[in-house]
Amino acid sequence: MTFDWATIEQALPLMLQGGLITLGISLAALGLGLVIGTGVCAARFARRGALRALGSVYVTVFRGIPLLVQLLFIYYFLPFVGINVPPLVAAIAAVSLCAAAYIAEILRGGFLGIPNGQLEAARILGFSDWDALVRIKLPQALRLTLPALVNELILLVKASSLVSVVGIAELTRTSQNLAASTFRQLEFYLMAALIYFAINALLAFAGALLEQQMKRRMA
Amino acid sequence: MNQTSRIANAEVVLQARQLCKRFGAHEVVRSVDLEVHRSEVVCLIGPSGSGKSTLLRCMAFLEEYSAGEIHIEGELLGYVQNGADRRVRASEAQINHVRRNVGMVFQQFNLWPHMSALGNVTEALLRVRRLKPDEARRRGLAMLDKVGLAAKADAYPGQMSGGQQQRVAIARALAMEPHIMLFDEPTSALDPELVGEVLQVMKDLAREGMTMVVVTHEMGFAAQVADTVMFLDQGAVVARGTPREIFQGNPSPRLQQFLQNYLDRNAFWQQERELKEGAA
Amino acid sequence: MSFEPGIITERLVEIGQGLAITVGAWAGGVVIGMAIGLLIAVLQIFCGAWVRGLLRFYIELIRGTPFLVQLFLLYYGGPAFGLELEPLSAGVIGLGIYGSVYFAEIFRAGFMSVPRGHLEAAACLGMTRLQTIARIQLPQMLVIIVPALVNLVIILSKETAVLSIVTVPELTFVLTGIGSETFAFVETLLVLCVSYLALTELTSRLGLRFERRVGRFMLHRAS
Repeated sequence: MTFDWATIEQALPLMLQGGLITLGISLAALGLGLVIGTGVCAARFARRGALRALGSVYVTVFRGIPLLVQLLFIYYFLPFVGINVPPLVAAIAAVSLCAAAYIAEILRGGFLGIPNGQLEAARILGFSDWDALVRIKLPQALRLTLPALVNELILLVKASSLVSVVGIAELTRTSQNLAASTFRQLEFYLMAALIYFAINALLAFAGALLEQQMKRRMA
Repeated sequence: MNQTSRIANAEVVLQARQLCKRFGAHEVVRSVDLEVHRSEVVCLIGPSGSGKSTLLRCMAFLEEYSAGEIHIEGELLGYVQNGADRRVRASEAQINHVRRNVGMVFQQFNLWPHMSALGNVTEALLRVRRLKPDEARRRGLAMLDKVGLAAKADAYPGQMSGGQQQRVAIARALAMEPHIMLFDEPTSALDPELVGEVLQVMKDLAREGMTMVVVTHEMGFAAQVADTVMFLDQGAVVARGTPREIFQGNPSPRLQQFLQNYLDRNAFWQQERELKEGAA
Repeated sequence: MSFEPGIITERLVEIGQGLAITVGAWAGGVVIGMAIGLLIAVLQIFCGAWVRGLLRFYIELIRGTPFLVQLFLLYYGGPAFGLELEPLSAGVIGLGIYGSVYFAEIFRAGFMSVPRGHLEAAACLGMTRLQTIARIQLPQMLVIIVPALVNLVIILSKETAVLSIVTVPELTFVLTGIGSETFAFVETLLVLCVSYLALTELTSRLGLRFERRVGRFMLHRAS
């Protein structure tokens, strides 16, 4: 077994580009997932029972089905009902919808983690519900959930490898294409693994820095 | 022949020579010499952080000592001599062999919560001594009976009071038929009203001739039961002698200050009690 | 828009076989993963800094890469160093390796959750380190780690769907195959979704019951 370094070197720019697309998809899914997840989380705290049930069904369904299956479902289902969207949009939608279920639970944990006494203090000081939410709850929930959200982003980077099955040329698909055309399977999949590893290590590092900064500010 | 000389003539069970323990640059135990004879009760007293617990933990090799030697019934504990002045840490089996006759009782009892009282006592009998189940059970029940807890054999640690848990822990150590028992502040984690029952078990043991080393804050127990009291401060033995010499002799300023704290506290309790009695 | 359940009922046997392979691969992955994970956690206790560093590297490497890429490496990259595997065995082994690091982390946390004093008591009674692990640490940490274990087992059940990409004929592979054969995508994908949902929900219910049983056994917990 010999490594074909020349091929690897030649393909490196393509692979790195794939890595960037992977990162882009993951960030988009995190952003969209945060928006949808906040809604789902709000539903789970709602006063109306029906809304709460809806929230919990959402979480159960999207956490109970493999992301790959959700992805295939959206990819094939949308055209079936007459909606034609580019594969990339379908892919990001699927990953975001799934991420939202996990993010909703992370946020829920964050809100539940705020000591009740602080909210009582806010109420006694005459804060409105909105002010209590924006000034007291959200900043704290964000701080409590930051490590979990960074972790979620890392999970998304890994999960986004599945969108390769619908033909999106992110990192995994790029390595697959290159491996198939050069017959250098081991090299390209190793390379893909290392790039994923590097991306996640960087994200974990950035997350730790962010967390430290937040801790210092709120200590 | 009086008690002291009888003990001094008995064989040495545990001997520490020039014992040192360092945590990094911090010296917690400084060149302690200590001999414990058969049937002797040694109490280690001193302020918290004086190194008395660390010294005791070294005697069971729960801490690796940095320099000096500990011999248990003539065998070097924890290390194997390797050439004239080099030694290496002994293997687990070697350590367990030297430690086989040492029993230990902890401040936090350290009973295993997933086993009943009897299970705690018989576990080592079955796995280490390899007794037959019915034999282990018989000895386990006898030990629980000895500490007055035969009725609690099937209770779990979480269902017992602290005092009962500590008595089970004593039974667990006794079941291995140790030649020497080490007690690390056995009553410090107990509610005040539960201290007595544990001390009573320990007194009975001492009366039966068990060799004991006890780290304690119970000055009454030390005065009443100990043959030798050692006062440690900042890792070194500052004073040693019979209870009479330590508590009624002419102590060093440091010991005097230490004992004064106890007298003050006792005075406080005395006052409380008188106030309560007055109110009643 | 038409909906024809007949497409599913006609091929129930095939689908059942797919489900059996899904469950088998899942069980195999869990067993292998748990075994390697426990081994790693125990080695981390016994071994020196060098081995621990190596194990740490293994854990971080597996945790930092997608399961799909690991699977590709094993299945397509394997032959480059003489490892030729059937799709199914590659899938099961891959799932086991992927799961092993998460199992290892759960076991490690479990081992650390048992108070040091409980181990000291065992040492003073002459119990060996291995006896202490088997008799004192494992049973005690069980109650703490069961929820995490159940969660991981559920995650692994979902990861089995990824095996379809390396042509393991499990449930996803079978149903998407039927889908592209008959163009009945909605029917097949609905069945697929419902099957996985049932599988994960069932596991989570059983897990809860198991947790409660372990919890009841440990109710008489000290302090």
